[in-house]
Amino acid sequence: MGLIDHKFEDNFITTNIDKILTWARYSALWPMQFGLACCAIEMMAAGASRFDIARFGAEVFRASPRQADLIIVAGTVTKKMAPVLRRLYDQMPEPKWVISMGSCSNAGGPFPTYSVLQGVDKIVPVDVYVSGCPPRPEALLYGLMRLQDKIKKESTVLRKARVIPAGASEPILVENQG
Amino acid sequence: MQTLTSFLKMIFLVDLLKGLWVTLKYTPQPAFTFQYPAERRPVAPRFRGVLRLQVEPATGAQTCIVCDQCAKACPDDLIALGGHREPGLKIKVLDYFDFNLSRCSFCGLCSEVCPTKPVKALIMSEDYELGSYSRESQIIRVDQMYDGVPIEQYTH
Repeated sequence: MGLIDHKFEDNFITTNIDKILTWARYSALWPMQFGLACCAIEMMAAGASRFDIARFGAEVFRASPRQADLIIVAGTVTKKMAPVLRRLYDQMPEPKWVISMGSCSNAGGPFPTYSVLQGVDKIVPVDVYVSGCPPRPEALLYGLMRLQDKIKKESTVLRKARVIPAGASEPILVENQG
Repeated sequence: MQTLTSFLKMIFLVDLLKGLWVTLKYTPQPAFTFQYPAERRPVAPRFRGVLRLQVEPATGAQTCIVCDQCAKACPDDLIALGGHREPGLKIKVLDYFDFNLSRCSFCGLCSEVCPTKPVKALIMSEDYELGSYSRESQIIRVDQMYDGVPIEQYTH
């Protein structure tokens, strides 16, 4: 998307295209299977019929990073797994998002040890942190809705990008992103 | 005989119809799916959600006595709290209560040791909707400990 990303001024056509692109992005988030520990069980439960993540267009758990938009890091990321995670993230096509699910991938959880990565945001940029140990399937769905809300507030082709600064909840307009 | 049976099975699509019969059997049943943002499933009675500080329900006075038991009980040292004495008051006034949610494993040891009676100052609430955009917002300060983490409503 490098050709049209953040290249256009606000006008009737570009804002409508932007809306359509944003709609397409948030309503079909294909996650990558990346279950590492017990959080993966809750992720499976969220994918199953009781909670049904398909209601949010995110049911297609892809085994290949090339077909995924979203990586749900569910579980303890050990230092041995960290380069693998980074490589898989690099192989995902843009645009891509990351949900860090559970205390272990948020900050290392109850493992402040030499072998566990203390927070997955040390190696990949995380969009939404879902807290819980493990989070309920509803909490994962809530995190997914938070991510969809974030994508709705971002802009795609417009030069003025709506970005959410770290720590804030409301987006601001930033000039000349691309 | 064996080949003839399997040939007839193949001709009359027996295995396919068997599979479709299972599908058909489950079709008239009501949907099993729980419409999460619209309806919220009641949690179990002893469910452990995010930590919450309680006040006296009648007066709204502070119940926490700043005894530091919860901070000592926490296996990951996630709670930091402090207060000061004021002349004329029996209990310490709570100044700050910082709870680092990001590492919390929701074990409930902190609320278990909380000694205040009859209203427990520190409880595990029923809120589990925790999704934040940054690491900084996962450190819960004292006002959010009383009011709870804000939950966005996505039911349109």
